[in-house]
Amino acid sequence: MGGKVSCTLGEIKNRADFIVYWGGNPAECHPRHFTRYTLTQKGKFTPNGRKDRTMWLVDIRETPSAKAADVFMQVRPGKDFEILTTLRALVKGQRVNEAAVADTGVSLQQLQEFADGMKKAKFGVFFFGMGLSMTRGKHMNSAAILTLATELNAFTKFVAMPMRGHGNVTGSDVVMRWTTGYPFGVNLCRGYPRFNPGEFSTIDLLVRRDVDAVLVAGADPGATMPQPAIDHLARIPTIVLDPKVTHTSKIAKVHFTTAATGVSAPGTVYRMDEIPLTLRPALKSPYPTDEEILKRINAAILKKSTWMPVDDQADALV
Amino acid sequence: MLRIKGGKVYDPAHGLNGVVQDICVADGKIVADVPPGCREIDAAGLFIFPGGVDIHTHVAGAALNFARAMTPENQRQATKFFHTAKRRTGIGGPTPTTFATGYLYAGMGYTTVFEAAVPVLSAKHTHEELSDTPILDKGCCVLMANNEILLDLLQQGDVERAKHVVAWLIWAAKAYGVKAVNPGGVAAWKWGGNASAMSEPVSGYSQVTPLKIVSSLARIIDELKIPHPLHLHCNNLGAPGNYTTTLETMKALEGNRAHMAHLQFHAYGGDDWHTMRSESQAIADYFNAHPNLTCDAGAVLFGNAVTITADGPWQHLLYQLTGRKWGNIDVENETGCGIVPYSYKGSNLVNAVQWAVGLELLLLIKDPWRIFLTTDHPNGACFWRYPEIIHMLMNAAFRRERVKKLPEKVLPRIVLPDLNREYSLYEIAIITSAGPARALGLKNKGQLGVGADADIAIYHENPDGEYMFRYPRYVLKGGEVVVEDGEIRHQMGGREFIVHPSYDPKIEDFLRPLFQQQYTMSFENYPVELERLEHPIIHPCE
Repeated sequence: MGGKVSCTLGEIKNRADFIVYWGGNPAECHPRHFTRYTLTQKGKFTPNGRKDRTMWLVDIRETPSAKAADVFMQVRPGKDFEILTTLRALVKGQRVNEAAVADTGVSLQQLQEFADGMKKAKFGVFFFGMGLSMTRGKHMNSAAILTLATELNAFTKFVAMPMRGHGNVTGSDVVMRWTTGYPFGVNLCRGYPRFNPGEFSTIDLLVRRDVDAVLVAGADPGATMPQPAIDHLARIPTIVLDPKVTHTSKIAKVHFTTAATGVSAPGTVYRMDEIPLTLRPALKSPYPTDEEILKRINAAILKKSTWMPVDDQADALV
Repeated sequence: MLRIKGGKVYDPAHGLNGVVQDICVADGKIVADVPPGCREIDAAGLFIFPGGVDIHTHVAGAALNFARAMTPENQRQATKFFHTAKRRTGIGGPTPTTFATGYLYAGMGYTTVFEAAVPVLSAKHTHEELSDTPILDKGCCVLMANNEILLDLLQQGDVERAKHVVAWLIWAAKAYGVKAVNPGGVAAWKWGGNASAMSEPVSGYSQVTPLKIVSSLARIIDELKIPHPLHLHCNNLGAPGNYTTTLETMKALEGNRAHMAHLQFHAYGGDDWHTMRSESQAIADYFNAHPNLTCDAGAVLFGNAVTITADGPWQHLLYQLTGRKWGNIDVENETGCGIVPYSYKGSNLVNAVQWAVGLELLLLIKDPWRIFLTTDHPNGACFWRYPEIIHMLMNAAFRRERVKKLPEKVLPRIVLPDLNREYSLYEIAIITSAGPARALGLKNKGQLGVGADADIAIYHENPDGEYMFRYPRYVLKGGEVVVEDGEIRHQMGGREFIVHPSYDPKIEDFLRPLFQQQYTMSFENYPVELERLEHPIIHPCE
């Protein structure tokens, strides 16, 4: 178990005939997803667009996305892991305890129909949202759906992709990996990267009050993080780079107004499938870009004497 | 300005085999002489080599970065690079971070590396990573053999238009060469299939066979006068009995140039995993007789590796064999990619055969100008383990000791125990630097003549080849001392080599509508902007 079987979004457009959204509401959170990539597009091997595809939606409540789905499967909150595990068994033709399945809010018959649909598909895909990855079970839920997709490849072509959003979070993840070896939750305090989500991830550091200053770029943690984390942001020097006033900027000590990336500042954004896109600004802004501000802060820091060990011996040899 | 005084110079491009002479450097180049009084490095008793050139490695891009995310357990065990005033932080291991990659390569005397597999769609990402890889000069090969627009053109028999598309794609990716991976097989993998028969049509096509893809691409590359020939990863990588596929492929390439990548993975006999054996002799015999080909070894060393390849179907099989993690990214219309962490074990019969085949090819292929040292990093082993291979090539007695540790059952399946050849330092200079530079068409690399880039590795003499080549006394890049006794002294950025083959600009009118139909980004956003590259050097196609 482990890894991820995925593809770029164009593969979905060109080939996918079985599309599952799980624990997400793309109609409202990723409003262009259906029309640009998954459902209505006519691709190379899906010439009839929507007619060539079947869509299942799995969620705990009926959201506006349900209207787009062929089948809406409502599950009991917190039972995703059990359902995914049951599906893994059904796909492999293993025996399943019907009474245990009843507890999930879905009938065994419906799950069997779901499993059969996946196996019959020519090219299937799971898109999973925070309704799966951030609810009871968390990373175990993500592992379960990724494993289900992996195992389906013994029968047909199947892939999985998290529905990432929140600005350029994928880009941050990508750059962190090539610079530090890890995607997030990286601690550089010892002079080399260490990784431990749950210990070094932002919320944990804030709630434990481990940090005494924070720089926020391209995010609004004041709107989404738990209250103890927000309280600590208000307590310490928090610096925010943002084109507009946000929940975080209101409690920050310093707020730099920046040019909006993609509107009045250039840059690169990574799509949820990790494909980079060049942003070309349409407008000019009187404000500096995030990059300019960070470079100037960095230049000012470099003028101060370093706290870290300098290679004295090495210098002597040159 | 700098004078390196009194070292023994190994410069195979000029036939210098340990000749004692001064090397003078000015403005990043090697010059005939420098005025007295400038800095001198006393190299008396030291060995002077042109900086190493890696023709095939995976050090940047979406696939490698995916592998980094998949294997935090490797990073945790790996060498840490502390942030100092002269060095940025990083992590080594099988998938080093970009800064660590620069330090590790430079640290063993390598100054130029070529990333082997880049999809156009994510090429921007690859170039960003290459820009963040310090010290080294770089280039990359763009993936073509499963590009559906090209395959559709081959199906229609429109090779002339295909040629313009190839040229356009090379420039769009800002690449230096063209790589073909499992021709037709990755396209078939998009529906879960593969292409293992060389002359049967690829699934979804009636007129396109793997052989046709290979021979058409090789011809196109030659006609476009791309300096590096078609860089080819054959079909059926890693499969027992695949040497027949490799021979068939090489025969189809007669009359054109080609570089056979990681040949070790393509030289197996037998019918299944239980009967797998070495067929390096058959491959080497054919190869020796056909000077249109070059290759790199793709040698395997025992230990941890991460297999990363555009060969999606092979990786699915490897996942099923190992039951370990599996990553897969299919790239729309272009290629695929698979990632499976792997451990090569000396006690495993298949792994032992693979280990032997890599060394056998290096010993059986007679012309060192046509086989180059690689491990297909990080597939066969990590690049920073090259010195271990050098030692085994230079010392037959040591090699025999290592063979003794293999399971006895493997001995009848390999020819390594019968090979007594030992590489000289001169030959090591060829397979690590002069040869790959020539195969890449890089005239200023891999040599120490006047006008060459002053990329120089200076070693202590040591009977232990591994120790000698692991710890250079000095490494110079562009005339600057970047490494001294294992310490990074100076880190500068590198350059990137690209080519700009000519094509009919009207080809964009042909591509644009196909693009709207098959891709998910606008045509204008697809090519890599030249500004994204760090110091691009456009190499002529002539």
